[in-house]
Amino acid sequence: MTALTAIKEPVTAAAPSIEAILGHELNGMLRVLTCGSVDDGKSTLIGRVLWDVADLPEDTRANIQRSKTSSGHPDFSLLLDGLVAEREQGITIDIAWRYFDTATRRIVIIDSPGHEQYTRNMASGASHADVAIMLIDARHGIKRQTKRHAAILDLMGVKRVILAVNKMDLVDWSEEKFRKIEADFRTLMWRFAFWEAIAIPASAVAGDNIASKSANMAWYTGPTLVEHLDEIPSRGIAPAGHFRFPVQTALRDAASDFRGLAGTVTSGSVEVGDRITDTVSGKTAKVQRISTFDGDLQKASQGQAVAIQLDTDLDIARGAVMAKPEQLPTITRTLDARLVWLSEDEYQQRKSYLLRTSTDLVPISTLEIRSLLDLETLAAHPATGASVNDIAIAHIALGRATALDAFSDLPETGNFMIVDAVTGASVAGGIVTAASTAAAATTGRPDAFILTRLMLERGLCADLGSDAKSQAEFNRRADEVSLLLRAAGVAVEFEVDDPGI
Amino acid sequence: MTAPISHLDLLEAESIHIFREAAAQFRRPVLLYSIGKDSTVLLHLARKAFYPAKLPFPLMHIDTTWKFREMIAFRDQTVKNFGLDLIVHTNEDGRERGINPIDYAPSIYTDVMKTVALKQGLDKYQFDAGFGGARRDEEASRAKERVFSFRAEGHRWDPRKQRPEMWHLLNGRLGSGETVRVFPLSNWTEKDVWRYILREKLDVVPLYIAKERPTVVRNGQIIMLDDERFPLKPGEKPQMRKIRFRTLGCYPLTAAIESDADTLESAVAETLSSTTSEREGRLIDHDQAGAMEKKKQEGYF
Repeated sequence: MTALTAIKEPVTAAAPSIEAILGHELNGMLRVLTCGSVDDGKSTLIGRVLWDVADLPEDTRANIQRSKTSSGHPDFSLLLDGLVAEREQGITIDIAWRYFDTATRRIVIIDSPGHEQYTRNMASGASHADVAIMLIDARHGIKRQTKRHAAILDLMGVKRVILAVNKMDLVDWSEEKFRKIEADFRTLMWRFAFWEAIAIPASAVAGDNIASKSANMAWYTGPTLVEHLDEIPSRGIAPAGHFRFPVQTALRDAASDFRGLAGTVTSGSVEVGDRITDTVSGKTAKVQRISTFDGDLQKASQGQAVAIQLDTDLDIARGAVMAKPEQLPTITRTLDARLVWLSEDEYQQRKSYLLRTSTDLVPISTLEIRSLLDLETLAAHPATGASVNDIAIAHIALGRATALDAFSDLPETGNFMIVDAVTGASVAGGIVTAASTAAAATTGRPDAFILTRLMLERGLCADLGSDAKSQAEFNRRADEVSLLLRAAGVAVEFEVDDPGI
Repeated sequence: MTAPISHLDLLEAESIHIFREAAAQFRRPVLLYSIGKDSTVLLHLARKAFYPAKLPFPLMHIDTTWKFREMIAFRDQTVKNFGLDLIVHTNEDGRERGINPIDYAPSIYTDVMKTVALKQGLDKYQFDAGFGGARRDEEASRAKERVFSFRAEGHRWDPRKQRPEMWHLLNGRLGSGETVRVFPLSNWTEKDVWRYILREKLDVVPLYIAKERPTVVRNGQIIMLDDERFPLKPGEKPQMRKIRFRTLGCYPLTAAIESDADTLESAVAETLSSTTSEREGRLIDHDQAGAMEKKKQEGYF
């Protein structure tokens, strides 16, 4: 380790050569979520990290140096604060993104607030993070809020956490205080599935154990915050898990006789010659080309955005998930899920909702809230409704089958948003805990109206052809019909045997 | 892939993903092309996202009539080179009223010729989504911006009505009257934009590169004289200075910097090792505290 501290030297006046600068293309990226409340000094801590290691412009540094907090230190928190309204209130009310470079990689700081609306903000912040820094005040130790934070991080699939025990200067740099907090933290961590959890004693205002070892806490022999961050591997470089390719759109170019499926590989990898299957229709073909603007590839891995041309035209449209035939996701019409309710509008049984998966948008026929999770005890309490900041355990039945994975296996194809069909608002974010195969799911409500392909083909969709674009439009109209009927109080299901809808 | 994926590769893939999500979900998207470096990268990424197909949306340039002449020439050449479909829109009402950046306060001029013009253009062609080159690192109020930034009827941006975004899911279902600004470069920094331009060997407007150009110094800022419309004050004499621009906007409102960086490489090197943030060169942002946030609420990019 020295990568982060190496750039602490101020940039000298002489402009470096272009080679020196372009040699600076970075080996990856790490996204760091910071959570904690304003009172714990979170903005100060993150501001201090930026101050110590980031390549801040001189004018920004000058602004900070001019500022003064009530305690007389420069106000590092100014590096984090955003909207005018919030500066006035002295709080942050949304997630904010900050970027800085170390010698080897990009660090993205995702700052999430710690006050009343924190559950939904933290959950959305955590969904983007590789590691989370939980901040507490050394005087107060682990609080209820810390437990809630840990539970949300775990739920959203964050695997690494750091407990920054801040304001050690206010407890006389006491090892005893820190060890007590560290022990509480370990006990708390047993309840979750984190891969790595560490507690670091620090003082953000004074800079102790942020980028440099604290002289005041010689008893602490672990890494500084910055040292520890530097040890964490970058995001998603090694392809892991089964191949998944949610189709975003079909690309056609008559001139070069190209017809490809555009998308990003969300997990695993695929090579030219591999047989891949559209999960829901079961149609299979061989990968003929993996095309990009910069030339064809032999192989595409997790994180790469490409276009795949198949050896036979399967007429696959947006929403399909391509996978290898022996490693298919679940084709499902019912799923068990955990949701974070994000909207100020609470769940209403009569409302029409849609399920937004990686690239599919599916009408929900029933969204049943079964219980709410108490984030402090992790106990589930039976419930039938959910409102903002609730974590709910729910059972969802879909109007038609779609392809999903369990979140714990493949996060990118195991997550979703719930969308209000009328306003379009994202009302909840969720993860799939279990999906049942379509065959097993005889959801069939006896009173449900069964919408068949034939009905739509005869009238509403009579103008549509059979190409992929028409197919997508067909699905869109089918979805809208089902939403309208639902709004009129009619339960709707699509014909089960029809792979098209 | 044998080499590790660089951060630029990750950013590029993410931007392509965003372009494709928006093109698939919105009925009439448009790329809001402003000719500068960010638009150059934006356009390049769009071409990558839909290659080998043509762009499934047009470009729209809001022409204030006060863009540098070299910008307009560059725009037209770009459109020709890549066979693009370009719409140019000007606020004709503002033009008739003679709203210009010299006689009017920057805030009024910007509102009429940029913000109002943009709204007019979007309404005229009924675009429901506009791709813009905004980055979260540009300015504090941008740091919380979404990738899909929703605008209510009248293009108003309400920070409290923005949709949470989780994982890579982008929800483009519009409520009635809503439109969207889409920001594929959200997670890019200014440095990334330049590094990428060099890596991909993209052409940029020559104004980014230092050259002897006619200038005057006013209020400590170097202003380039692009045509006869800039009235000199008594005692002001145009003087040739070797200058370049770090950001490009309307010519009397964008200050130049003195520089010897007369190749793209040296200009980028100078920018990347520079010690001030890029918006220092934009005079409108100094107009008032929280200027950008206010402009956004009124419907600016």
